[in-house]
Amino acid sequence: MTSRLSSGTGVAARTGTAARRPRRRSSPLLIALAFLAPALIALLVLRIAPAAVALWQSMFQSGLLSGDRFVGLSNYIDLFASPDFQGALGVTLLFTVLINPIQVAVSFLLAVLYTKRLAGAKIWRSLVILPIAVPPAVSAVMWSVIYRPDGLANAFLDLFGIPPQPFLTSPQQALVSIMVLLSWIGVGYWMMFLIAGINDVPRSYYEAASLDGASSWRQLWSITFPLVRRPLAFVLVADTVSNLLVFAPVQILTKGGPEGSTNLLMYDIFTRAYTLGDLNTAQAEVVILVLVTVLIVGVQFRLLKAED
Amino acid sequence: MTVNMTPRARGRAPRRRLGLFGTSVLGAAIGIAFLIPLWWTAINSLRPGAETFRYLNPLEWQTFLTLTPTFDNYVALAGSDLGRAILNSLFISLVTVIFGLAICATAAYGLAAFQFRGRGVLFSVVILSFLIPFDAIAIPLADMFRDWNLQNTFFGLILPGLGNGMAIFLLRTFFLAVPEDLVEAARLDGLGWWGVFWRIYLPLSVPSLIGAGLMLFLFQWQAYVWPLLMGTDRAHIVGPVALSNLQGQFAVDYGVLFAASVILILIPLVIILGFQRYFIQSVSTTGLK
Amino acid sequence: MKRSRAASVAAVAIGALFIAGCSAAADDSGSAEGTLQFLGTDDPATYAPVIDAFEASHPDITVEYTQVPFDQYSSTLQQRLGAGDDTIDVYGVDQPNLSQLAAQGFLEDLSDLEGEAKAATSEGQYEINLYDGKMWALSVWNSTQLMFYNRDALTAAGIESPTADPEARWTWEQIEEAGRAAQASGTQYGLVLEQIEAYYQLQPLAESLGGGSGIVGDEMLTADITNDAWIQAMDWYGETFASGLSPRGVGGFQTAPIFSDGDAAFFVGGPWDVGRMAADADFDWGIAPMPYFEGGDAVTPTGSWSWGINTASKNKDAAREFLEFAAFDAAGALSTAEATTIIPANTDAEAEYLPGLEELGGDRAAGVADLISFEVENTAVSRPTSVGYVQFEAEMNKAFADIRNGADAAERLEQAASQIEAAWDKL
Repeated sequence: MTSRLSSGTGVAARTGTAARRPRRRSSPLLIALAFLAPALIALLVLRIAPAAVALWQSMFQSGLLSGDRFVGLSNYIDLFASPDFQGALGVTLLFTVLINPIQVAVSFLLAVLYTKRLAGAKIWRSLVILPIAVPPAVSAVMWSVIYRPDGLANAFLDLFGIPPQPFLTSPQQALVSIMVLLSWIGVGYWMMFLIAGINDVPRSYYEAASLDGASSWRQLWSITFPLVRRPLAFVLVADTVSNLLVFAPVQILTKGGPEGSTNLLMYDIFTRAYTLGDLNTAQAEVVILVLVTVLIVGVQFRLLKAED
Repeated sequence: MTVNMTPRARGRAPRRRLGLFGTSVLGAAIGIAFLIPLWWTAINSLRPGAETFRYLNPLEWQTFLTLTPTFDNYVALAGSDLGRAILNSLFISLVTVIFGLAICATAAYGLAAFQFRGRGVLFSVVILSFLIPFDAIAIPLADMFRDWNLQNTFFGLILPGLGNGMAIFLLRTFFLAVPEDLVEAARLDGLGWWGVFWRIYLPLSVPSLIGAGLMLFLFQWQAYVWPLLMGTDRAHIVGPVALSNLQGQFAVDYGVLFAASVILILIPLVIILGFQRYFIQSVSTTGLK
Repeated sequence: MKRSRAASVAAVAIGALFIAGCSAAADDSGSAEGTLQFLGTDDPATYAPVIDAFEASHPDITVEYTQVPFDQYSSTLQQRLGAGDDTIDVYGVDQPNLSQLAAQGFLEDLSDLEGEAKAATSEGQYEINLYDGKMWALSVWNSTQLMFYNRDALTAAGIESPTADPEARWTWEQIEEAGRAAQASGTQYGLVLEQIEAYYQLQPLAESLGGGSGIVGDEMLTADITNDAWIQAMDWYGETFASGLSPRGVGGFQTAPIFSDGDAAFFVGGPWDVGRMAADADFDWGIAPMPYFEGGDAVTPTGSWSWGINTASKNKDAAREFLEFAAFDAAGALSTAEATTIIPANTDAEAEYLPGLEELGGDRAAGVADLISFEVENTAVSRPTSVGYVQFEAEMNKAFADIRNGADAAERLEQAASQIEAAWDKL
């Protein structure tokens, strides 16, 4: 058995015949906490403290004409009673349920594709990864040009005889158009993680399966898929979180429309805080978004819980 | 019977050849499809801004190619703040990666290498706390930073990017895969916990460290709302803000905007392409099983 | 807006460890000298002439300008001014937002300059800076809208082009007819408005029919956008897209290129488009007055930027000098428009500026100087002065976008009215 360790301890060769030294008695919890300390401080200062402030502010109203006053849960009640917020919540949930499985599946399939021995796999793979480097403002402009009624997308469809589509100007197509845009940006990024996971699977497994007569598809489902569960789980959770925070394309392209069909929660929060100037209700909405995120991620953790 | 790791036998049925050809074409087509918007942008950065929308529909060869490229747009950027913005962004992002990896890796280690009661709960708490959307708590955080006089400082710009829940999650996922007997043996050898971290976990997790580093880098590189709130005087301006500044009030010169975008994309591009090789190759535990 | 300091006080203890400040503190001095921090949304090159001219005539004062991207400007202002940031001395005020900023206490009272302000500029540009009986800023820039037409396209359709004479102003109905004829003979679109979903651009449609600005009441906090005139105007607006006269799905900055690429018969844009068309359009074009509805009034949009002084500033005297230079001094005001195409609010500077603009446009822009003066003096209607304007505009713009994409005007305006009222309840 070869050791991959570059440090000079030669540990792997030992089988425990050396004299045992007494173990230190410090509690694993304390040591773990020592390692966790910087992160915990960062957490406290950079997340918990401002979140506490946000929670606090969400229970006040500080209007221009009415001054500061404590209103308890009134902002939350107003939110849930408001049809705009209900719409935003619905749109966000629909969006979450649709986009995450699709993006993870597409990333996975692309990862499988690009780990096969194709001509120029590395090049094509790099092209798919490129979009993550594009600043949100720029990708929004690019796609505004693609989705214009006289834009690139309709020009391409025209080549196939398909009539021009409204894309971002239609309440039915706008959300899906945004999803395509986000997928263009993100799919390559997640694909990278999955390729790493797939490359972890020893080739010998595939060879053995081929000898047994298993087809490529079969191998995919019986070997690849189960063995990349951890990276897949990571991608699903990370993708879900990042999709719940989407707002730049909405802000630049659709402003939540047409007719509220792309009014994602984060965008609603942003406009409520910065444009409408209603900071307190926006903070209440933030609290709700965080709870929704925690809930969804919690459910995912539970479903994907491996042996650890 | 040993298993050879030979390339697939060439003499196989033609169907396999066809299948391989088919998937190659598919792979190429997908790659090209992803490239199209970027290509269009790059081509238009080589045209005067007035011509940006001239060749949209119907599709002509000019849509994707120009026989008279000009670098005027790039030259026009020479006098702008873009250069300084890029340097600032690079500095901030790199510092974030270094310190951020330190914080995230140690945290992931604390959550992966030790067995204690409530480990799962602590993990959940840490991750879930970092899930608090940054853009949403940016306002109270900006107020706090202002109280501490951190506005218009690099420190204030770097700080929020240091703790990244997803990076911790990623690193912990990989750390959990480090075999226990390796650690046992090292401990028996007298290696302290820090030594185990530094000499076993880290070297074995290079791909995940690169992945986490990439996440931290991209987060900072794309940061837009935070730098604005922290007050960006010209000495501290960052890339995305400089890009937005190119959008005038009354008109936008798209040629210049695209040129700036191309420049702004190049750096993360080079980093991603450069590192993806290391990231994707598995340096992990196949030999140790 | 007040912020709760509770959590921050507790955190300061931890924060003390983190202080590594090199905050940009403004120079501290009482009288008219020192360094001024000036905040705006334009490229620094825009303000270089006025800053240079000012520093030349005021050797004790230096002005440092910082740009904030336009779409983040008001939120950045809210956050920084709300936190009492004293590193902003002078800042650009988007005129319709003035009352909100004044009510929040972010603007210094300049009422002692009222007499001079009234003399320096038009009535509309003077009144826009008033709120609650006081004056809070000085107007620096003004705007209006013009109609550009594609003469080649109209001739090809057998239509006689309009002229720049305000007495011979076309109606929207005439525009529609001519636009469709142009489309029939090959032009892609009949009409394109530059700020195609913006209240600034569309307010005149309703005003022309007598529908008012949409905000009424003693407090100017009652929405009135569902009267017959508003619905009629918005029905007409929606119909231009449904029928293909105007394009859907093309946003703000991509509209002017439609005209300059020769794909539209009529385009409504600002003075800043004069030079642009002269440079980019390779067909014969001309300028005419902005249209009105038959039987209604001629109304043009107006207003642009004023400059104000931050109440937290430590350099108010120097700031005042800078403001007065840009607003009252004719040469100073002229220098603000030197590096950009915009109309100075100062009447004398405007008179001197406009001929230059006409020259910039070349032969095709003949008559634009007189036209702009006429519109500014006679047909300009400002956006309403209301503390709730920002919320109003945000919801209206969303409504316009939806109507443009096919929503029923009456229904959508009803919905917007309740959204606006809901937002105003929180004030």
